[in-house]
Amino acid sequence: MIPLFFSPFLELLLAFSLTMALVLAYFAIVQRDLVKAAVLSAGQSIAYAFAYYLLAAPDILFAYIPIAVGIYTVLLLYAISKTERFEEG
Amino acid sequence: MASTIVLFVLTLVSVALGATAFTPSLDLRPLAEFYLENCLNQFNKDLWAASPEAVTSMLWDYRGLDTVYETTVFFLAIIGSVAAFRFGEAFLRSYEESKRKQRREEGLSLIVKVITRLTFVLIVALSIAIALHGHLTPGGGFQAGSIFAVAPLLAIAAFSRRFVEEFGLTKNTCLAIRTTGLITIALIALIPLLSIALGFTGVFIIQNQPKPWALQPSFPGFPVYLGPIWLAGTLILFNVAEFLTVASGFTLLFILLSLPEDFFRRLMGK
Amino acid sequence: MTSIIGQILWLYMYGVLLAIVSISIYGVVVRPHILKKIIALTILADTANTFMIFIGYRLGATVPPILTTLNPSPSDIATFVSSAVDPVPQCLVITAIVINMAVTALLIFLSIQAYRLYRTLHVKELSRLRG
Repeated sequence: MIPLFFSPFLELLLAFSLTMALVLAYFAIVQRDLVKAAVLSAGQSIAYAFAYYLLAAPDILFAYIPIAVGIYTVLLLYAISKTERFEEG
Repeated sequence: MASTIVLFVLTLVSVALGATAFTPSLDLRPLAEFYLENCLNQFNKDLWAASPEAVTSMLWDYRGLDTVYETTVFFLAIIGSVAAFRFGEAFLRSYEESKRKQRREEGLSLIVKVITRLTFVLIVALSIAIALHGHLTPGGGFQAGSIFAVAPLLAIAAFSRRFVEEFGLTKNTCLAIRTTGLITIALIALIPLLSIALGFTGVFIIQNQPKPWALQPSFPGFPVYLGPIWLAGTLILFNVAEFLTVASGFTLLFILLSLPEDFFRRLMGK
Repeated sequence: MTSIIGQILWLYMYGVLLAIVSISIYGVVVRPHILKKIIALTILADTANTFMIFIGYRLGATVPPILTTLNPSPSDIATFVSSAVDPVPQCLVITAIVINMAVTALLIFLSIQAYRLYRTLHVKELSRLRG
C-alpha cells in the first residue's frame, strides 16, 4: 500500500515528462542528420503536450499539438527535401 | 573552443538563476481572481463577458486588441511567404502542360487513398465542431484552424498536388477565404464605432456586452441567447472568422511548399 | 499541503526547464546549419511558453479555468475562484504560440529561397557573400 503522506503523483508525472523533454531536446540539437533531428523535436513537443495537460491548460493543448507535431515537422521535412540533409562541421 | 565557453557561461547563468527558484503557491494573483469571477457573473452584469470559459473571453473580449494585432502579425508572415514564392498562374499552367506526357500514376497506393478520404472528413468535422463551441468548451478559432490545416496536407501527400488543385483548392481560393475572414474580424470589431451614426455615444471598440457605467445612451451589445442556444455575443462570430483565416493561411503555405523544385528552377531561368 | 518530495520536485522541474533553455541557446549560437538553428529556436520558444504556464499553476488544483454550468450560483463562483488555475498566462501563451509559428514559417520559406540562390545553407559561407 502506498503510505498516505507520499502522494506527489502529479509532481512525479510532470518531472518525468520534463526529463523526457530534456533528453529528447539534447539529442535533437546534437544530431547531424536533420531528418532525425526533426523527428526528435516532434517527440519533445509530445512530452511538452503531456506537461500542458498535467498543468490544467486544455486550450493551449489544442493549439500546441497540431502546430508543433503537425506543422513544424512537416515544414522542416519539406525544407530538408528541398535543401541538404546532413549538417557538416 | 567557442562552444565550450558558451556552455560554461550558460551553466553559470543557469545556476545563478536557479537560486531564485519558484514553487507554485496556494493563492492566485488578484487579476486572475478578477477574470475568473467576472467572466460569467449573472448577478452583477457590469463587467461580464457572457462565456463560461475564462481563456476565450480574455482572448476576444477583455484583451481583444492583443488578438487583433496578433492576427495582423500572422497576416504579414503569410504575405511575406507568398511573396517569396511568387509565380504567375499562366506559367504554372504551361508547366503542367509540358509535363503532361510524362505523368504516370500519381499519389500513393489505393489503401492510403481510401483511409485518407475517411480521415479527411473526420478532421474537417472535428475542426468545425471545435470552432463553433469555442465559447463553451476549450477550443476556439486558432485551435480549430490549426487542426484543419492537417487535412489538406494529408490530401496533398496521398493524392497529388494536381489532384487537389483540380478540386478547387488553389492559391487564389485560399487568399480569397483568408481575406473574407480578416474583413469579418475587422467589421465586427468596428460595429460599435459605426453605431455612433445611430446616436449611441458610450461605445468601445471590440465591445461585447453593454457597459452600464459608460455614457448613456450606450451600445446595446451583441445578443447572448438565441432561443435555447447560448451565443456569447461576439465570441462565436470571432471564433468562426478566425477559424477561416487561420485554416486558409496554413493551407496556402502547404500548397506553396508542394510545388516541385524544377518549376522554380525554370521560373528563375536556370 | 505537499510533502518535502513535492517541493524538491518543483525545484527540479525549474532546473530542467533552465537546462533546456541553455541547450537551445547553445544550438542557436554554435550550430552552423540554418535549419538546425530554426529547430533550436522553436525549442527555445516552446520552453519559454511552458515556463509561463508553470508559473501560473496553483498548488493542488487540477481544475482548468472553465465553468461547468451556464447559470452559476454565487457559491459556485466562489468555489471556482478558489480552486481554478490562473487563466492570464494561458491567454498570453496562445498568442505567443501562433506568432512564433508564423515567424518560423517565414524563416523556413526564406531559407529555402536562400538555398535556391546560393546552393548552401552553412552560415560561414553565407556570411562570406557580398552584394
